[in-house]
Amino acid sequence: MNQIFLVLKREYLTRVKKKTFLLATILTPLIFPALILTIVYFATKEKESRSEEILVLDQSGLFTDAFDVSSFDFQSIEGDLESAKKQMSDQNSFGVLYIPDFEVTDPSKIEYSGFELYTKTNASVSEISRMKRSIRTRLESIKLNNSGLDKELIDNLSVRVDLDSYNLSDSGEAKKSNSQLSYAVGYGTGLLIYMFIFIYGSQIMQSVLDEKTSRIVEVIVSSVRPFNLMMGKVLGVGAVGFTQLLIWFVLIGGLSTAGLSMMAGAGSDVMVEAASNQMPVEAMEAVELTQQQEMVSDIQEMIASVPVVKILICFLFYFLGAYFLYGALYAAIGSAVDSIQDAQQFMFPIILPILAGIMSMFFVLEDPNGGLAVTMSLIPFTSPIIMMARIPFGVPDWQLALSMALLILGFVATIWMAGRVYRVGILMYGAKVNWKTISKWFTMKV
Amino acid sequence: MNILEAHHVTKNYAAHKALDDVSISIPKQSIFGLLGPNGAGKTTLIRIINQIIMSDAGDIMINGEKLQPKHIGVIGYLPEERGLYKKMKVGEQLMYLAELKGLSSGDARKKIKHWLEKMGLTEWAGKKVEDLSKGMAQKIQFIATVMHEPDLLILDEPFSGFDPVNANLIKDEIFELREKGATVIFSTHRMESVEQLCDHIALINKSQKILDGSKKEIKDSFKSHKYSVTYKGDLVGASANFTAHDTHEVDDLNHSIIQASNGQNPNQLLQELINKVEVHSFIEEIPSINDIFIQIVEGGQK
Repeated sequence: MNQIFLVLKREYLTRVKKKTFLLATILTPLIFPALILTIVYFATKEKESRSEEILVLDQSGLFTDAFDVSSFDFQSIEGDLESAKKQMSDQNSFGVLYIPDFEVTDPSKIEYSGFELYTKTNASVSEISRMKRSIRTRLESIKLNNSGLDKELIDNLSVRVDLDSYNLSDSGEAKKSNSQLSYAVGYGTGLLIYMFIFIYGSQIMQSVLDEKTSRIVEVIVSSVRPFNLMMGKVLGVGAVGFTQLLIWFVLIGGLSTAGLSMMAGAGSDVMVEAASNQMPVEAMEAVELTQQQEMVSDIQEMIASVPVVKILICFLFYFLGAYFLYGALYAAIGSAVDSIQDAQQFMFPIILPILAGIMSMFFVLEDPNGGLAVTMSLIPFTSPIIMMARIPFGVPDWQLALSMALLILGFVATIWMAGRVYRVGILMYGAKVNWKTISKWFTMKV
Repeated sequence: MNILEAHHVTKNYAAHKALDDVSISIPKQSIFGLLGPNGAGKTTLIRIINQIIMSDAGDIMINGEKLQPKHIGVIGYLPEERGLYKKMKVGEQLMYLAELKGLSSGDARKKIKHWLEKMGLTEWAGKKVEDLSKGMAQKIQFIATVMHEPDLLILDEPFSGFDPVNANLIKDEIFELREKGATVIFSTHRMESVEQLCDHIALINKSQKILDGSKKEIKDSFKSHKYSVTYKGDLVGASANFTAHDTHEVDDLNHSIIQASNGQNPNQLLQELINKVEVHSFIEEIPSINDIFIQIVEGGQK
């Protein structure tokens, strides 16, 4: 036990003390919000700075003021197309939108063409579709006027529907459920486990390989049982991953609660102000902000609708289970080969079930209690990813218990098997290794 | 008193026998040479003693006790394939290895300080191993082997890869450690290099022990009673007590190999020679371990 701890301590400290670890751990939770903020910033900045002209040559006379909602500055002009084109280059405008002379008379005509857009460089897809929408809207409203139908009647024909869904427990207690959030949580936790298996699994492999290639391993195994060495490594690297995860949770949790409470706080502040002033404009703002506040409380309610504690406990369990199971396999591969390149051929069978898990996650999230979902959430090689995807939607207790039991069985078995390969592999240099030799090592008496 | 005894140790691998019924006894405070060509089974035996692998049959006794995990701290092992963690600092690395051998961190710190001073590497304690020269790294490896003051030092091909200066330094340290009570096992296939160091040897060939004992006894038992003699005069003419071979002339002196008959001691032989010729040199030809080894192996093949 003491030996495992010493190995664990070394693996942990050498990694945690690295600058790259510190950077990755602190920056990663900040990178995504920062990325989103940057994109939003540039997108809005671009919109504001854009004030390029588009000359609108409207020969039909139907489209006056039809194009006011756009990032372009639309300017009506007179004349023919040739003079418009000339004017465009004279004024250094961005483009010319040509609308031919036509009339909307036939109520059954639904295809309109002949509109032309000339630009210096390609206009963006969204800008073109916005212009098309403006033209369409104007044509539709002209047709509506011509038909003599009541606009209000038409508007009232389209309706919106809200469907509140509840989970009814055996005790008859109804709880508001939220599929979207369940989807997000399931996807997020599944993906997190997948990422950690990859990142930290290959770190274990690298660590085993380093000891082998630096030839220190023989000194180490003269003091430590190979199995203890392997376990110390798996646990030590795992502890690093755990530390990282913990810091991420704290950082992301802290940031998002701070963000939410700021939104809620801003809402109530303005409410109070508006109420005391009784100014109509501010009252309107207040209504808007009440909606915002409602949204915040909606989010809080949604979060409450998910079984947070259960998810956390299950996440910890499946995270560790997946990590032990795959970590031991990575260690065994690292022991068998002399270089990372040689490791490739053995990686495939290990990566396959992980990939199968992550790929079928989409189907599982669509149908969390289907046959595929249930089967894959029981098989130890895929259960950590798939079960985590299912849990937010609700999983029968017996399935959860069976899946956990199988996972424990699974990782005990793989650790045992990996240990048998590892103890031989670490002392083998320059041996030509294939699956046959590995299976030989497995049965070899040492 | 023997610090280590191996009784009928056998180890089989799938394809071949690595050790076949090997028994050796290593006296306390001896420098014991474990000799044999590559692939003879030396490393297998050493790994069994280090509890890296297990024998199929037979026992290893350390100080009269059956080999068990607690003996890890008694042994210091410098393997043939050796290295260090490149990215780890020298001091931290030695601390880790010392703690694995069971030293408390306080003890380890003192020992590390002592040994780094002794080897003149104190200022390198905070440097990473990859920044060290090869010679320095070798010294660190040696420190890692001896710092927990093991009763039994096992050095597998210790001088391969060491430059001559370091090799001599290590030799001196080994003698010093022996003076303090340590026993040293040298494993090598280069027999001439160890002949000067060892007082006991065991020869292993093709997984079997073919010879062991004190170096002197072995050499005595392989003495062929040959003498290399240079002299002025003529040794022609038969004597009942000796025959002369390979006679040739060098700078007006004759040189012969004299094969003494059984029961003749050197003095009797010399007396007889002095009566016949003017003796300039008289040296008993003692076989080297290498000669003995070749003799045995070739004899075994016949």
